[in-house]
Amino acid sequence: MIITKKSVPRRTFLRGLGTTLALPLLDSMVPALAAATIAKPVVRLGFVYHPTGMIMNRWTPAAEGTGFEFTPTMKALEPFRERVVVLTGLAQINGRALGDGPGDHAREGATWLTGVHPKKTEGVGIRAGISADQIAAKELARNTQLASLELGLESPSLAGGCDSGYSCAYTNTVSWRGETTPLPVEFNPRTVFERLFGDGDNTDPAARLARLEERRSILDYVAGSIDRLESRLGPGDRNKLGEYLEAIRDVERRIQNAERQNATLQLPVIERPSSIPEAFEDHARLMMDLQVLAFRTDMTRVITFMLGRAGSNRSYRSIGVSDGHHSITHHQNDPVKIDNVAKIDAHLVQTFAYLLDRLQATPDGEGSLLDHSLIVYGSSLSDANLHTHHDLPILVAGGGAGQVQGGRHIKYPKETPLNNLFLNLLDKAGVPTEKFGDATGRLDYLSGV
Amino acid sequence: MIDKYCLGCHSDKLKTAGLSLETLDATRVGDGAATWERVLRKVSRGEMPPPGLPRPEAPVATAFTTRLEQALDEAATAHPNPGRPAVHRLNRAEYSNAIRDLLALDIQPGSSLQVDDSGYGFDNIADVLSMSPALLERYLTTARSISALAVGDLHRKATEEQFLPLREPPSAFRRRSRRERVSPDLPFDSRGGLSFPYYFPLDAEYIIGIKFPSNVISFGERVAGFGEAYEFRLPVKAGLRMVGVTFLRESAKAEAESPGAGGGAAAPPGSESSEPPAEMDLRLDGARLKRFQVPQRAGVVPDVSSVTVGGPYKVTGRGDTPSRARIFVCRPAATRDEEPCARTILSSLTRRAFRRPVTPADLQPLLAFYHSGRREEDFDHGIEKALGAILMSPDFLFRVEQDPRGAAPGTAYRINDHELASRLSFFLWSSIPDDELLTLADHGKLRDPVVLRQQVRRLLDDRRSQALVSNFAGQWLYLRNLATVNPDPQAFAEFDESLRRAFQQETEMFFESVLREDRSVFELLDANYTFLNQRLAEHYGIPKIYGAQFRRVTLSDPNRGGLLGQGSILSVTSYPNRTSVVQRGRWILENLLGTPPPPPPPDVPELKPHGKDGRLLTMREQMEEHRINPTCSACHARMDPIGFALENYDAVGKWRTQDAGSPIDATGKLPDGSQFEGPAGLKKLLLSGYRDEFAGTITEKLLTYALGRGLEYYDKPAVRSIMRQAGRDNYRMSALITAVVESTPFQMRRTSEP
Repeated sequence: MIITKKSVPRRTFLRGLGTTLALPLLDSMVPALAAATIAKPVVRLGFVYHPTGMIMNRWTPAAEGTGFEFTPTMKALEPFRERVVVLTGLAQINGRALGDGPGDHAREGATWLTGVHPKKTEGVGIRAGISADQIAAKELARNTQLASLELGLESPSLAGGCDSGYSCAYTNTVSWRGETTPLPVEFNPRTVFERLFGDGDNTDPAARLARLEERRSILDYVAGSIDRLESRLGPGDRNKLGEYLEAIRDVERRIQNAERQNATLQLPVIERPSSIPEAFEDHARLMMDLQVLAFRTDMTRVITFMLGRAGSNRSYRSIGVSDGHHSITHHQNDPVKIDNVAKIDAHLVQTFAYLLDRLQATPDGEGSLLDHSLIVYGSSLSDANLHTHHDLPILVAGGGAGQVQGGRHIKYPKETPLNNLFLNLLDKAGVPTEKFGDATGRLDYLSGV
Repeated sequence: MIDKYCLGCHSDKLKTAGLSLETLDATRVGDGAATWERVLRKVSRGEMPPPGLPRPEAPVATAFTTRLEQALDEAATAHPNPGRPAVHRLNRAEYSNAIRDLLALDIQPGSSLQVDDSGYGFDNIADVLSMSPALLERYLTTARSISALAVGDLHRKATEEQFLPLREPPSAFRRRSRRERVSPDLPFDSRGGLSFPYYFPLDAEYIIGIKFPSNVISFGERVAGFGEAYEFRLPVKAGLRMVGVTFLRESAKAEAESPGAGGGAAAPPGSESSEPPAEMDLRLDGARLKRFQVPQRAGVVPDVSSVTVGGPYKVTGRGDTPSRARIFVCRPAATRDEEPCARTILSSLTRRAFRRPVTPADLQPLLAFYHSGRREEDFDHGIEKALGAILMSPDFLFRVEQDPRGAAPGTAYRINDHELASRLSFFLWSSIPDDELLTLADHGKLRDPVVLRQQVRRLLDDRRSQALVSNFAGQWLYLRNLATVNPDPQAFAEFDESLRRAFQQETEMFFESVLREDRSVFELLDANYTFLNQRLAEHYGIPKIYGAQFRRVTLSDPNRGGLLGQGSILSVTSYPNRTSVVQRGRWILENLLGTPPPPPPPDVPELKPHGKDGRLLTMREQMEEHRINPTCSACHARMDPIGFALENYDAVGKWRTQDAGSPIDATGKLPDGSQFEGPAGLKKLLLSGYRDEFAGTITEKLLTYALGRGLEYYDKPAVRSIMRQAGRDNYRMSALITAVVESTPFQMRRTSEP
């Protein structure tokens, strides 16, 4: 009997469906790697997407520098003042139409972490660019089981188009493994949990090893079959199977790293989350708990997390907003609608504050996970009524292991590429990159004045 | 014609909208087919020449479009371009169905995979079905658990799974719906509870636990002390079974059995209730297993908060399941029979899984998996291991079509019989071909037009063609969005889960009736019947329909019949708190007439709630004001009138004559001058003036779905040929589907170009 109802002391750590997730052996889960790197803390990267822009005059602080005020929308982040840098003036101008007509929400999602103008298509020849998280993931994956996690809170659209002649892939994710490979977002906490820790019907290390071995032989077989098939296919068709092969290499690497860690990684007695919590807030917290857990156990160092799909039309009834988010962002200057959008904005920021709180509460070496993380929060639309792709609402939370000085609001010249910020962050995560989308260089002042 | 009416703008010099017709050779339209198809569309719809410029007389324009169409079709016949569907990963629905048909295991494993991205309105588009490491890991986990369930894994650890009744919004908590029979799997005289399928993995003992709400709300007050569980341990044979828990209606009480007697359950605390106990049945596969008495409080509807199934314990064997019967086509009598029998089993599985003849190269690696499992444990375990590998093979997970050897690049060829068998079964069943299709393909008979027609008929008659309802209609009509429709409980207190399910069921049964009874697709727009149960009939204001089961009902009201009068369509095109004439208009333009309007430009001017005289305007007046703006009017002049015709239906499809105190004005006038009133008037107009548009739209949607790719200009001749063929039989479902199957892009493929 694996899934038990017994009472365990730390079960409140992970919320969600009441008490479905219990991790009593948390401390023993930390692999040897983390212990060995106490001297030099590992930087974790997070990218948290706020869908569909903001009411900008309730977000942007008036004052610059260290004395800035936390505006109504970002109020919930005030307790983390010393770990927050607000950046204004940044842009993803490749999200603009540039002759492609309507589809700003598809372009909002596709450009946020890529800075590349996406190809307008419902299917054939989907293309944007590699995303910042995936540049980091490729490199940092050498040390961890999973290169990255792509998480979200909203199920992809089930029927109908997503945005004006763009495939739903552009709105469903912000993460692109390569320019033609969007990475789907997982929104079921149970699936995330199983991906991190297995489906949990056996926690004995020997059994786990045998299972990894079995996986390896299946992957060998699949790789062989792909080779056989590919030799008989045209180049376009080979690409599709190439994706399969790439995924196999990824999982093989995971198996290697897992075997290396297996001796020290003691899997906990686990109650898995059984389904998706009904309330948005519970769902969000459970997903953020899983992120903290993934960072904590060094399962991965890169996570993207979409609070909603690009152009999300969720209604937030818990804060008294019944209308769909997207539909009221086209507020036509109706003050009630503007207030309601601002309410949603503040609510999403508040939801995100929970992640910072958990990261701060989680020790990591000499400091906390928050001290060692760099979490970007923001959107790639600013005014969603006008569909503007510049003056984006963006902030960076976390200390990046002493590399970022918080407590500041920095203004950059109009239309400074957001990709410039990503280059800074990639530097700080130890993945220096030269060319990336429309980046023109690195941002000044991020590390300090 | 071209010189006179087009070249004024579309010359090499001016190139209006980037288009010049000057150098295009009108005698060789095949060379410029992409452009000519655009010309054809614009001129036949009357969009070109634009208003205000000299236009040809109608007969002249018609003669021109007829000639152009003919020339394009002839060019396409002479040099067909069937397009080239990409390598296609099975989507979630296809994966579930493939497992069901391959292994007789109907457990919807695809639902544990990531939701597929969609394009062109469907989620079976090869170009967007991608693969990622996360998905690959899901496939690995899923393949392992499927093979363990299908064969039976004797070392399976006991687990416990919890099932909850459908949630209801708080406003519906005390509603009558909870007193209704909740599932057709439960007896007529039952109320409340839940019923769910559960796959019992082995012949073994299982523990079924039933929990009651710990805090029952009784007329607004909380009543404590009902939180304990009943537990019941029993032996169950392996396989998929329906587990049900339900209460008996007052009148049906009889021969009670107390929970302590034999069930091993303790009486729950709080037994000092003032009411006589409620009678509760635990059921398995439609038969009563046990009857309990549950104490209840005055005025509280008895209910269940969850049912858990735990096990297996005390395993007695792998059991005798449909899956095992399907897999083990032979049994080795002695050790020396094992290897030949394993070959037989794996050949039969692989042929169906890979949808083609099996080669020694296919079998060899699978036998290695078999041997390693055989060494670990026994024969069956060996088969389980090999099955786990088959389910990960690219030949199973992907639909791959191969160019014939030696074919010149960029030329059209007829796909082989096995590829055709797959195209057929994935189109009509969203699943793998069955033995009959494969055998016909083996013998090269499927390409015989008579055989092909028979097979289309056979596949449509099979239950599995229900996939066209859930996957094609479910996406085309946005039915799938019903699951996430979220009407505001303040505004629509009557909306609850049972109404949501009823909406879904009505439209599914309606579409299925048109399919199964081989009716004309035009009946989708207007029919004199629908499918209702009591709940839905009351919602629609139709009297004398009793009970929770659905039945065909003949409609006397000319408004209600057809898709546009169904709660499903009307609610997926509404906002949570009100109707949307724009969304409804747009839905009709996009999904029925094939002319989707572009999305609104950003920074739309605000609607002005007050007129020039300061009077408060109705929504209709505000929208009319808004349409004076020319940028808005181009689209809204088409959308809004259509949407207004449906204003008699509120945001959950209930009939109304007033909105916020003002009478509904459901009259409308389209830019072409046609006038209509109300749903009945709109339907009449669609069926008289827009018949071809509707037929063309459903044809294009169906062809997109059948091919798993977006349509291109070079598919237009095929669309027209399908329409001509289906039109001769008044667009009966079978005629339309057969015409799609017989079309060039379905039968052929273009070789890859370097």
